[in-house]
Amino acid sequence: MQLGSGLDRRLTPYVFAAPAVLIMLFGLLYPVIEAFRLSFYEVRLGEPVTAQAFRGFAIFAEALSDSSVRKSMAVTLQFSIIVVAIEMFLGVGLALILEKPLRGMMVFRTLLVLPMMIAPICVGLIWRYMFDVNVGPINSWLSVFALKPAWLAESGLAFFAICVTDIWQFTPFVFILALAGLQGIDQSSVEAAKMDGASTLQIIRYVKLPLLAPILMITILMRVIDALRGLEVVYAMTNGGPGLSTELFSLHIYKSAFVTQRMGHSAALSICLLIVTTALSALLLMWSNPLRQKGR
Amino acid sequence: MKISRRTALKATLGSALAALPLPYVANAAGTDWSKLRGQTIVINWPSHPHFDIAKKLIPEFTAATGIKVELDEMQYLRMKDAQVLQMSKPQGDYDVIVYVIMWKTEYVQRNFLTELAPLFANEALAMKDYNKDDIITAYLEGLGLVGGPRGYLPGPGAKLYGIPYGAECSVLAYRKDIFAKHNLAPPKTYDDMLAAARKVKEKEPGMGGLTQRAQAGHQVTAGWLMHLTPYDGLVIDDKFEPRVSDPAAIKATEVYKEFIDTGPAGAASFDFGQCINSFLQGQSAMYCDSISIFGPARDPAKSKVTETTGYVVHPKAVKYSGELGGFGLAIPKNSARRDAAFAFMQWITAAQQDVRVTAQGGQPTRWSTLDHPDVKKIYPVDIYRECLKIANPDWRPIINEWTEISEKVLGIRLSEIITGKTPIKPAMDSAAAEIRTIMTRAGYYKT
Repeated sequence: MQLGSGLDRRLTPYVFAAPAVLIMLFGLLYPVIEAFRLSFYEVRLGEPVTAQAFRGFAIFAEALSDSSVRKSMAVTLQFSIIVVAIEMFLGVGLALILEKPLRGMMVFRTLLVLPMMIAPICVGLIWRYMFDVNVGPINSWLSVFALKPAWLAESGLAFFAICVTDIWQFTPFVFILALAGLQGIDQSSVEAAKMDGASTLQIIRYVKLPLLAPILMITILMRVIDALRGLEVVYAMTNGGPGLSTELFSLHIYKSAFVTQRMGHSAALSICLLIVTTALSALLLMWSNPLRQKGR
Repeated sequence: MKISRRTALKATLGSALAALPLPYVANAAGTDWSKLRGQTIVINWPSHPHFDIAKKLIPEFTAATGIKVELDEMQYLRMKDAQVLQMSKPQGDYDVIVYVIMWKTEYVQRNFLTELAPLFANEALAMKDYNKDDIITAYLEGLGLVGGPRGYLPGPGAKLYGIPYGAECSVLAYRKDIFAKHNLAPPKTYDDMLAAARKVKEKEPGMGGLTQRAQAGHQVTAGWLMHLTPYDGLVIDDKFEPRVSDPAAIKATEVYKEFIDTGPAGAASFDFGQCINSFLQGQSAMYCDSISIFGPARDPAKSKVTETTGYVVHPKAVKYSGELGGFGLAIPKNSARRDAAFAFMQWITAAQQDVRVTAQGGQPTRWSTLDHPDVKKIYPVDIYRECLKIANPDWRPIINEWTEISEKVLGIRLSEIITGKTPIKPAMDSAAAEIRTIMTRAGYYKT
């Protein structure tokens, strides 16, 4: 039957995709729905949700009016902007320098991506030791200039320390993506620019960077999302202190859940973070969707 | 009925093998735990110097009783999450938990722990020579009792839910050589301690006066508490009203900040490990915190001051008041192997094991341990006894909300104070208001 065959053809992809979609729906959406439900209740760790009083959006209102939540949001925003900007600058810069095949470059590239391979909690512990005021190598080097800053004991320095750590760990990520992007550029455009007499800087500014822009946008978004969710490094290095000066939003959520055991409060904050990261992810998908460029 | 030689031999051998474990168990444990043989208990165990020593004895417990032990070991402040989750289930994975003193009331109020009196009354389970009265009184009351006055103090209504293990009080350690060099007497009062801290900071380049805990969160609160009750301050009063901005608490906070300012470099971010190492590595002239320093201070692998460390009682400010804290052992109500868990609790805290752990640098649980010659060799026992006399069971309010107050209110406000970000009075006024909000939410002020 013509009609039956047409319907079958249209349905076939959905039937094949259905198991995967159902598993994804259960695995991804169910926890989110549960978190959303939890955010309406004042419930402590280990207590059944249904046994608690329903408070609706009051928990959201309370959480968002809490000065420590707002401070944590501000710290996270400041942290994300600073580290992503510097990582982009350094990562793209390194990629431009190292894009040409040079002797020993493979070894150098491998070494460069090592920080990204280390578990974040280990990165936090390594840099906590590096910044240790008494036994840390950084102060050991600075002692030549008679300097002994208490890196993790002063608000500004502690914030600087967590930024340095993040930049050390994630610049290689930007570098790898930028390098891949550069190697994918059609060299005829570069050659054409050269024949027109463009300098190296002009080629970078007017040829390479515009061609690299889609990849760089995706990289920025991925890094911003990651930076917004940062937890382990700060947890190991400063535990959010001194005061709240390095308390990133994820650490604040963690403390709400496991220190104060206010699971509803913590879930409400998680939902807020989820909304921000989902919006950024949607943006990322819009940019990176290959079907979009094909007009489909 | 004719019995063959082979049958007789089998029967004799079988009886002998079957009977073999009984006297062995009885000799080892002082009671009959043979029914528990073959069981496996799971213990949530902290990574901590005392427990690192104690865990070496566990194979002996298994050999003596036939009870196998699995340890779920983790950093001590991380244990609470795991414990609460496990104890909330109908049947949890943990048969014994090691808890920190500040969690005891919450655990009992949430019906997580097994009351121990009925177990001690069970003759089949209780070790005959256990002698509960030999356990250091302040520790047994401070760590084990719940339900008394204010919910956590010894007195009417209090019941035993835990056995202290790895318990501690506070002591002042000082550098005898540095004090002698500057004609300083061992501090008896806070004025002495402050004067010494100022002089060391001024006269000893690269050295701080007093090393303290100060990292944001739990640690800074623990450091501040060292001075609060000696100045007669309180976190909350008997009506559960916050008292952290009262003059006594403000004075204690000023003193704490001065010790940070005259302390070693980077003191404002020290956790307990950094705090104690600062003294052991010769970067601070004084240490006023847990007696867990006794072991490491004598260990040349950990300490550069093995020959130059002296000890005095936690000095007097307005009054004498020392820390009472540390760990205890308890049995979750949802443990499926309660009897084996109780056997372990008794065995590890029994006199013989307590001496062995303490003699290797662990923390004593029993009075008799303090009299043992091996312990006297490494512990300044006389000072220890004096410290125990002033150990304060109301060192901090052990209420359900304490963790939140300690880490999320005081742990942030005090950190802001010592880093100079906020002046003392406004910060402590804010802390008091925040504590009141928490207490109101928890329903303490219902009329």
